[in-house]
Amino acid sequence: MTDPVAAVEIEGVTKRFGEVVAVDNIDLAIGDGEFFALLGPSGCGKTTTLRMIAGLDLPTEGSLRIFGEEVGMAPPDRRPVNTVFQAYALFPHMTVRQNIEFGLRMRGIKNPELSQRVAEATGMVRLAGMEERRPDQLSGGQQQRVALARALVNQPKVLLLDEPLGALDLKLRQEMQQELKALQREVGITFVFVTHDQEEALAMSERIGVMSEGRLLQVGTPREIYDRPASRFVADFIGRTNILEASVESASTVRLDNGALIEAETSTPAGSRVAVSLRPERVRLQPHGTTAAEGSSLDGEVRDITYLGHAVVYEVAAGPVSIEVRVEGEVGEPFAAGDEVTVAWDRGAAAVVAD
Amino acid sequence: MSGVVEVGLGRRTRRGLAVWAWAVFAFLYVPIVVLVVFSFNASSRVNIWGGFSFQWYGEALRNDVITSAIRVSLIVALVSTVVSMVLGTAVALALARYRFRGRRALDGTVYLPIVIPDITMAVMLLVFFAEAFKFIDSFGPRFTLGISTVALSHIAFNISFVCVVVRARLDQFDRTLEEAARDLYATGWQTFRRVTLPLIMPGVAAGGLLALTLSLDDVVISAFVSGPGSTTLPVYVFSSIRRGVTPELNAISTLMLTASIALVLGSLALQRRRASASQQTQVL
Repeated sequence: MTDPVAAVEIEGVTKRFGEVVAVDNIDLAIGDGEFFALLGPSGCGKTTTLRMIAGLDLPTEGSLRIFGEEVGMAPPDRRPVNTVFQAYALFPHMTVRQNIEFGLRMRGIKNPELSQRVAEATGMVRLAGMEERRPDQLSGGQQQRVALARALVNQPKVLLLDEPLGALDLKLRQEMQQELKALQREVGITFVFVTHDQEEALAMSERIGVMSEGRLLQVGTPREIYDRPASRFVADFIGRTNILEASVESASTVRLDNGALIEAETSTPAGSRVAVSLRPERVRLQPHGTTAAEGSSLDGEVRDITYLGHAVVYEVAAGPVSIEVRVEGEVGEPFAAGDEVTVAWDRGAAAVVAD
Repeated sequence: MSGVVEVGLGRRTRRGLAVWAWAVFAFLYVPIVVLVVFSFNASSRVNIWGGFSFQWYGEALRNDVITSAIRVSLIVALVSTVVSMVLGTAVALALARYRFRGRRALDGTVYLPIVIPDITMAVMLLVFFAEAFKFIDSFGPRFTLGISTVALSHIAFNISFVCVVVRARLDQFDRTLEEAARDLYATGWQTFRRVTLPLIMPGVAAGGLLALTLSLDDVVISAFVSGPGSTTLPVYVFSSIRRGVTPELNAISTLMLTASIALVLGSLALQRRRASASQQTQVL
């Protein structure tokens, strides 16, 4: 980041619970006004990282700064951050209004500012008219909005969201994704959100940090993460991909284990063992024997065809390896199981990932 | 093989069970009805009906020994209930929330007063007070058995009951609510006051109600640890029954019965009002 002061700056942070290392020596800087996603499978340490930013867990080692101020050991009520909890954690004995007011009251903010800010927040999440209801009288989506308003009304410098859409059904989830993005643009606050859903992370965030087993594996824009995964885990975790075992020939070629030489940029020294990630939708099927003007290709035989409605997935056996090819927007199926075909792709479609 | 499979009981069995249910009902309530009816008996003979009268209620309430016993009972019940609500809740919180040296041992023994027989508890407390007085008296002040020892003893067993009830409530408490409060700038104390306590309050209130009932009810322990002038109502009733059942005792018992029914109805009404209040807003 070129930003002079990062919104959140994590330096060498480790969190141990007894013997278990939940977060293992993480360095991360999140910029001011950024929509940042922490992505990873359950148990990867993403929630613990978020909780450390919130102050709900304290780091075992390392330094944590919010806008330059060290907060690593500060209690949650002394940090300029607020959290939207996974199951919202709305106070069941309070009305919507009382829930939203809570943070302001705790900081001693009085009327008329209090009611003005509550009204503003309520309007922002389109909850006007529901102030006197209790959380159990709201739908999941409405509860989510209350949780958002309850956090945003405090005008935090950073908003933390722990799997905010996890409890919603698919349709509502997609709606809320758009709303959250719009809301973030509107308030201009840094959003840090935790999710295990890679599509959600890709669709919503400006940058993504991929975590696994307590480590931060890669940080980058959705495009970087998807097209240039830094490791086999990232390539496999984000979207579907074909992983082909290979070794490096030169800076621009690698040899697959079945003997085929393909073009791929790499900085790994020649002779190293690597893997090549080929996205199913970035490869084409061609009649057997036709070669592309540029890029690389492999010959094989169609093994299986799966019709998905919006796409057709071909499983092609090329020697010992199996390659998944996803064809979208094509009428009919030009190839049948048993056909000899050529799998081709453009230069740059194949990404070399370290082991 | 057709038609509906007969899963219910036969008609004869059903009728038999209904008769049995009425018998149980009668067994439970006939003595109460007899007690209440005879408390309005104008005759001074307990078992002979001499017409309707409030006479014995008047006599009971004019009897200084009885009014004093009622006063003692009420004071002891209120003090022990309030104190054990606070202490019992504190113990439940400590056991549910914190790991400390001796937690397991305390967790196992806090319920002891519920299980051990009243008479054991009574002897235990009496011996304890005797030893404690010996110790305190060596510094000068003189303590004797009285209303304060009765109250202390009631607190001793009531803490356990409150603790059990509150603990059950705490076990299903969602701790992220407390984290949410902390995240929203509440201090530890504010979090307890605004979030934890209101949410466990039904448990605390139920424990308190139980404590109140147990305290008003206790005979054995109170009889052992009370001194002159600190006789509770149940102890008075128990000791005067040795001189024979009097219509006066019927009147007192009916009053106690009415008071405990009122207590239960009151708490039920409170719960129902809360439930219907939230239902009403749901409709809106």
